[in-house]
Amino acid sequence: MNFAPPWRRSVPWLLGLAATALLIGWAGQQAARREADARADGIHRAIELHALALRGATARYNYLPFTAAQQPDVLAALAHPKDPAYIAGANRYLEEVNARAGTDALYVMDARGLTLAASNWNNAQSFVGQDYTDRPYFIDARAGRSGLFYAVGKTTGIPGLFISAPVRVGGAVVGVMVVKVSLREIQQAWRDGRDPILLADERGVLFLGSEESWMYNATRPLSPEGLEWIRAHKQYGLDRTFPAVPWTTSRANAPTGYLVSTRLAGASRHFLAIDEHLPELGWTLTVMTDYAPVTGARITTWTLGTLGAGVLLLGGLYLRLHLRRLAEQVQARAELERRVVARTAELQEAHRFRKAMEDALLVGMRARDLDGRIIYVNPALCDMTGYATDELVGCLPPYPYWHPQDLDRHWRDSDAAMNGRAAITGFESRILHRAGHEVFTMVYTAALVDAGGKHCGWMSSVVDVTEQKRTEALLRSRDGQLQRSLRLSSLGELASSLGHELNQPLMALGSFASAAKAFAQQGQRGLLIENLEAIQTQAHRAGDIVARIREQIRRRAEGIEPGAGIAACAINTLVATVLDFQKAEIRLRQARVETRLESGLPAIAGDRVQLEQVLVNLVQNSLQAMQETPVARRLVEIDTSMADAMVCVRISDRGTGVAPDAASQLFEPLYTTKPDGLGLGLAICRTIVESHRGRLAFENRADGGATFTLYLPCQP
Amino acid sequence: MTSLTHPDLSLFVVDDDEGVRDGLGMLLLSRGHRVQTFASGEQFLESARLDACGCVVLDLRMGGISGLQVFDALRARASPLVVLFLSGHGDIPIATQAVKDGAFGWLVKPCGDDALLQQVQLALQLAATRLARHQARTRALALWQRLTPREMEVVRLVAEGKPSKVVGRELVPRANHRTVESHRGNAVSKLEMPSNQWDRLIRDHEL
Repeated sequence: MNFAPPWRRSVPWLLGLAATALLIGWAGQQAARREADARADGIHRAIELHALALRGATARYNYLPFTAAQQPDVLAALAHPKDPAYIAGANRYLEEVNARAGTDALYVMDARGLTLAASNWNNAQSFVGQDYTDRPYFIDARAGRSGLFYAVGKTTGIPGLFISAPVRVGGAVVGVMVVKVSLREIQQAWRDGRDPILLADERGVLFLGSEESWMYNATRPLSPEGLEWIRAHKQYGLDRTFPAVPWTTSRANAPTGYLVSTRLAGASRHFLAIDEHLPELGWTLTVMTDYAPVTGARITTWTLGTLGAGVLLLGGLYLRLHLRRLAEQVQARAELERRVVARTAELQEAHRFRKAMEDALLVGMRARDLDGRIIYVNPALCDMTGYATDELVGCLPPYPYWHPQDLDRHWRDSDAAMNGRAAITGFESRILHRAGHEVFTMVYTAALVDAGGKHCGWMSSVVDVTEQKRTEALLRSRDGQLQRSLRLSSLGELASSLGHELNQPLMALGSFASAAKAFAQQGQRGLLIENLEAIQTQAHRAGDIVARIREQIRRRAEGIEPGAGIAACAINTLVATVLDFQKAEIRLRQARVETRLESGLPAIAGDRVQLEQVLVNLVQNSLQAMQETPVARRLVEIDTSMADAMVCVRISDRGTGVAPDAASQLFEPLYTTKPDGLGLGLAICRTIVESHRGRLAFENRADGGATFTLYLPCQP
Repeated sequence: MTSLTHPDLSLFVVDDDEGVRDGLGMLLLSRGHRVQTFASGEQFLESARLDACGCVVLDLRMGGISGLQVFDALRARASPLVVLFLSGHGDIPIATQAVKDGAFGWLVKPCGDDALLQQVQLALQLAATRLARHQARTRALALWQRLTPREMEVVRLVAEGKPSKVVGRELVPRANHRTVESHRGNAVSKLEMPSNQWDRLIRDHEL
């Protein structure tokens, strides 16, 4: 920000104002100058006109004295000044010519200046007998020149232009012929105009003009000699003073001519005046024109300029205000946007944080509204159930992951939770993952309260306790059992991969055999043999793979070989131990076990660990077989008895039983009816049983399910 | 079963298992096919003629680059080879996806010789039509290249069914009716076919 002192900030403004004022002033001057030029042009044209009129007026009568001077009557009168007859003749002539020419007077003087005859001879103010020797026009003419003189008539007091010419007889001037011309008409025409027109003589005395009051005023101071000359020649009558004309002149603001300021008819007036010297007449013609339009043009321009500048200034101020307001708005909007962005970023951050937290949670979260409709689930719950968020949100009970065998319980728990009766300690719930496996969970439910404090639903956290359950179950069983289970599963994986490997030689065998057949038919012996050899190689290869499988199974089942572990053991104790191991598994599968153990059975000779493994396997098979059986019917029955001199253990389930076509392969290795089974359990069981010289049999039960019977010889 | 053996069609077997590779080679040889076998995808991509028309029997799971990567490489090179996959039991989803991406088919190991031969046969038939189309296009292109650019324009416009006057008006710069007729006559002799077959020529071979 620029914190300039106020005066400094106003400097540009002042400069701007000064520049504008100068500009306006200049424009006004220009307008005035233009107007003055136009006016001056008008004056020049008027001067041309008026000068022409003046010259015309003089030129028109220039000839008259010369012509009249040669008239015989005039000459006769001059020759006989005492003879009234001649004088009368001249008088008549002059009167007639004067009347014809329209001049004021025409008269003739003798060489001494005495008027002999005149056109106004019979008039009261007759010039006859008058002496005009002191008039310059007489002096000029007497000297043989023509004369021209404007003066007030000595006799009449009427001003006029006197034009004189000498009257010559034989080269000598004997008299002077004079014509007096009135300039009244010109003056009258000037007075009819609006602006003053003035005519000054060679001494600057105004003698003709449109302004009566200025007549015989001097435009410049008269010298004493000049004044004397005028008085001597009685040019403008007797005892006349010549005051300075009542105006002030100035050259300023006038490109040509000068400015005249005066008062006319009581009003202050300004004129633009131009002088034109008329050398042949010795006069100066001054034509004036009103200066007001020039001033007016300047003032108009100044007014318009000032107004325009004012409008511009106001507009500028308004624009500045508007821009400032706009800038404020933009800034406000930007601020708002920035705050929105910041707030959005905060929200997004918070949202991301919450989402990351939810995603990181291993605990499933599920929110339901008051109707039990799922309104939110987190990824952990989706993972737990195998359903996607959009498949779960919007669901009403029964939810898709409810375990079909626990529907009653789910309904009960759900209703309890919705009625706010959920146990604070949570409840256990078995759910069915979409992929088919069971998930054991603990569900804790709390009321969901919205921002307004209104109860709007329920939030449940769902903890996957499957692993915990399994661990518990495993912990309950003994270490050995765990080891054996692991051993069994890795064995299966091995077998599976070896099985894959067999496909290669089988494929090759098929191809070679087919080729061999074709070559045999085509009689291509060489190729036939080559193929047969290849068949041999591939058959060996397949055999090797099979041997490898067998070896692996054998090695893995090494502990199965009866040996040091052989001891007398009671079958009923074995069964009880196994059931104890399997307690957790049995509970997980929501099955019951009923035992009928015959007392007093003889001991059997066997490896207790191996026999336990067989029993575990059979019990697990039973439990797994009842996966689709309703919970209420899930019952494993185990009974012990004597049969055919052997101790016999029967394990019955209420599952689906064994399909007839599967029955023959049931004990084959790698055969399985379970989707994720390995097909080794029963094969190994049989191996163990047979190594104990016992027998493993199975039969389907009439009412569904299967019974496996284990026969073991008594201790000898 | 009748064998289609075409001298211009190639047949490749790519499998890293020697037994399977040789077995397939023998099987196809015994049915009169000429076969080239490769022990790896790398070897195949390096030395086989990938721009040839024909069929390749490709093992999905191999040491080195997998059959799927070989397939992708073929697609990237716009190879006209028809691809037939061999897969293990567990790889069926991969094989079906490959078929969706343009592979001809797949066979699960171990497969019967009949099934294999039949699939190879069908694949070769497809390759043969590709070959025929390719050859026809090559021929058409050769004919087309005889034309001057101006004649090509005339041929295109005539093929759209426009009379010579209209063609002349639409050409830039315009040409009069006689000039168009002369271009048309030249094109007939250069393309070696009457003008009523031009439309098909252009459409079939995307000229």
